[in-house]
Amino acid sequence: MQQAKECMAVIGSVTQAMRAQRVLNGAAILCDVIKADSAKGSRGCVYALSYDCVQNANVRRILERAGIRPRDFYETQKR
Amino acid sequence: MREYCGNPGRSSHALAAAAAEKIYECREAAAQFFGSDAPERVIFTMNTTMSLNLAIKGLLKTGDHVLISDLEHNAVLRPIAKLAAQGLIEYDVFPTLVHRRDHSKEEVLRATRALIRPNTRMLIAAHASNICSSVLPLEALGRLCAEHGILFVVDAAQSAGHLPIHVERMQIDALCVPGHKGLLGPQGSGLLLLSKNLTADTLMEGGSGVYSLEKSMPGEPPERYEAGTLPTPAIAGLCEGIRCVERIGLATISQKETSLNRYLQQRLQSIRGVRVYVPHLVGSVLLFNLYGIPADALGDALNKRGICVRSGYHCTALGHKTLGTPEGGAVRVSPGFWNQKSDMDALAAAVSEIARTGI
Repeated sequence: MQQAKECMAVIGSVTQAMRAQRVLNGAAILCDVIKADSAKGSRGCVYALSYDCVQNANVRRILERAGIRPRDFYETQKR
Repeated sequence: MREYCGNPGRSSHALAAAAAEKIYECREAAAQFFGSDAPERVIFTMNTTMSLNLAIKGLLKTGDHVLISDLEHNAVLRPIAKLAAQGLIEYDVFPTLVHRRDHSKEEVLRATRALIRPNTRMLIAAHASNICSSVLPLEALGRLCAEHGILFVVDAAQSAGHLPIHVERMQIDALCVPGHKGLLGPQGSGLLLLSKNLTADTLMEGGSGVYSLEKSMPGEPPERYEAGTLPTPAIAGLCEGIRCVERIGLATISQKETSLNRYLQQRLQSIRGVRVYVPHLVGSVLLFNLYGIPADALGDALNKRGICVRSGYHCTALGHKTLGTPEGGAVRVSPGFWNQKSDMDALAAAVSEIARTGI
């Protein structure tokens, strides 16, 4: 059975991640603020948003429209 | 402290996440309260002094010229004077003309404009004085600064939570605010609202919760300016304080304080030997002296009668010089929203008694 995946948008600080979360919540996209895998942030610890990969295109579009530029996007196994 | 004991912005466990959420709520509440659409530009500090130091030392460069008003608190004068003494900047003091009953906003602007130089980089103004009820015209000063490409830094220590402040409309580049006065928060909480186009040098470096492999602070606000663990309980308290002020309403607060001040002034001025400074300014602060009694002795005598006022120079050397108070300064009364007319009566009765019988 295929393991469920979730998508991550690596944002930066917890404040920036919460700001991005508010933007997505405003567009009815549910997401969680999580501490990303430290290896994913080349500069060390970093916060990300996790969301259903079905929303991937919407997340990218909405964040870009709000002037938020995630540092990275990736998929991971659902925790 | 029971609910928000996790360290915000350091882990992602439930307790840390709850604390981070509360911190962000406060940023949102403060941003909305002061007319900003950028909660991430709300920086937490310990008090107005720290906010002012961050703005002054973070934004000024060697060779800059600065204008400060003649009512500025030592939280402005001292860092500016230190930078000037080190030969890094120059500064001039612009007149607020508050001692004149007939002064106009236009005169103040004219006098300020006359002091602007090609290298004037910053203008710092106390929105409301901490020793009298003067209020500077922030919109007009903001416009003047914008016209000349000058950074506009506002000390809102006495006005936040008493008078309306809108950072966008007033074109304020750095708004410095205490949490523990008009915003009804605990001591140890303060704010700096920094405008979107500004990046300041850091006052302090340390852990920021992100980019731990980097040797420098993050480039983005607010974490860039918030090294170390934030005082979550103080910030949670500040958040509730802001909400309380919003529920009551600034107009209601201001009207009550002004009414008490006006009443108190009438009562004090009927006592022989009392001098009220700049009586034409009526707001939330009243400064007075009693002939023949040093200010500190008067303050002490009032304390013995259960009345808490502050006497002396109120950390405002410039302001006392502008108002012409004598050696020893004066006594300051600050009626608040929860004071009553009976409190003003008690104070007036105490001063009257002291005037008759001595301390």
